[in-house]
Amino acid sequence: MRRHVVDRVAPPVYAAIDFAVILAPALAVKLAADRGGMGDAEGIDLILASTVLGGVHAGFAWNRLLHEEHVAVRRADMWISALDALAVLALGATVLLLAIFYGFADEHASVADRGYPVVALWTGVQALAVVIAEVSGRVVFWWLEPHPRARRRDRGSARRA
Amino acid sequence: MTDRVTRRQFLATAAGFAGSAAAAAVLGEHVWPLLASEDLIPGPAPELTLVPSAWETGADRLSFVAVGDTGSGGRQAMAVATAMARTYQRSPFGLVSLLGDICYYGNFEDRFEHVFARPMRPLVDAGVGFELAIGNHDAQLRHTDESLAQIEAELRLLGTPGLYYATSHGPVDFFYLDSSVPSVFGRAASAQWDWLDDALARSTNRWKVVTLHHPPYSSGRHGSTPGARQRLEPMLDRYAVDLVLAGHDHHYERTHPVAGTTYVVSGGGCKTTSVGRSGFTAAAESTLQFLHVDVRGDRLVGSAIRPDGSVADRFALRSREGR
Repeated sequence: MRRHVVDRVAPPVYAAIDFAVILAPALAVKLAADRGGMGDAEGIDLILASTVLGGVHAGFAWNRLLHEEHVAVRRADMWISALDALAVLALGATVLLLAIFYGFADEHASVADRGYPVVALWTGVQALAVVIAEVSGRVVFWWLEPHPRARRRDRGSARRA
Repeated sequence: MTDRVTRRQFLATAAGFAGSAAAAAVLGEHVWPLLASEDLIPGPAPELTLVPSAWETGADRLSFVAVGDTGSGGRQAMAVATAMARTYQRSPFGLVSLLGDICYYGNFEDRFEHVFARPMRPLVDAGVGFELAIGNHDAQLRHTDESLAQIEAELRLLGTPGLYYATSHGPVDFFYLDSSVPSVFGRAASAQWDWLDDALARSTNRWKVVTLHHPPYSSGRHGSTPGARQRLEPMLDRYAVDLVLAGHDHHYERTHPVAGTTYVVSGGGCKTTSVGRSGFTAAAESTLQFLHVDVRGDRLVGSAIRPDGSVADRFALRSREGR
């Protein structure tokens, strides 16, 4: 595939996958509510929260990829870090939710009973996963890319050779 | 430098693929299905105020509710409890028969407030009585010190007289069994069977309802409990038991009468799992629900009610004594 086609298609496809990964847990909960006869409105709050968060982060991920396409010394570094970030996001956005809601069931039940919106807790946990994924993606990209000092050192060794 | 960077790329790529494979396997196989089958998201408790003692119980009349597997404290459990309270407003009942598994994600003593007191508060405040059949999350299939302590806490906190016992309400005699393996097939089993035989023989009410956690007939994930039919059916037939109520599988299912007895699984108290249909199935649905039962003379009408108030199944029985 031609490079400019990849440059155009890859960021939105990546953003869409990123969005789907954040939305999936809320869809699973909504599916349970629908199957259980809870009524149409039940579970919509979590879907809306994940949609907003997923939409915002998909935008970030899209821009990150666009930016890295321009600054990357090696394009492979961009794809590798994007893959890593997505894996971290997929695991974090779901497993973290499960661990927190399962491990601290009593604490959350108390929160819900005080009228505190559980959707805020859900969004907070997913936002934490998003931040971890975003940071890990950027750190991996930085770690993989040759840095100016190293480039200068490389140029120096090449001259001496 | 090139070598080092290549090594880094290799490591980062390997981590990415391993992470993606782990994500696909863990999420697809376990986490998403778990989110879709558990009830982990907390929800607000019902805040209805009910008219106390609004039900009518007489020699010929009783209304009660049977629900199993309610013990999450999550929003689905709260929705079922809210639907029970709303049903009380329309057609009051004086008894809730709990079909086991009243506590998940921890022990009952710690979670009592979240899995029982909060969801059931409107009914408790209205004076509704609660009776419990021990379930397998309350008592593991093999009794350990920990599970026995759990059972002891449940019996104490709910004022339940024992692992197996009988009660009488209006025209109905209830027989609560401990269906965990040690009590059904273990050394202690014969004591329970002897007790049931004796209690059924002495029962004089028109209606006889046996209540236990593990279903003798089920087309759900756990399925029919092996051995339960062989132990129970001869006795149920001998003493003309009308109805057997069970939980354990997280769905609703009613059988055609089997040797005169109708078996109902009412295990949709907070979670759902899939259910198929078997030769004995008269009605089945994977849904959250509870069973509302209205007894008038020799006629019993049962309704499986979903959280939104709609009816999943309605059935009518004539008492075996009246047939």
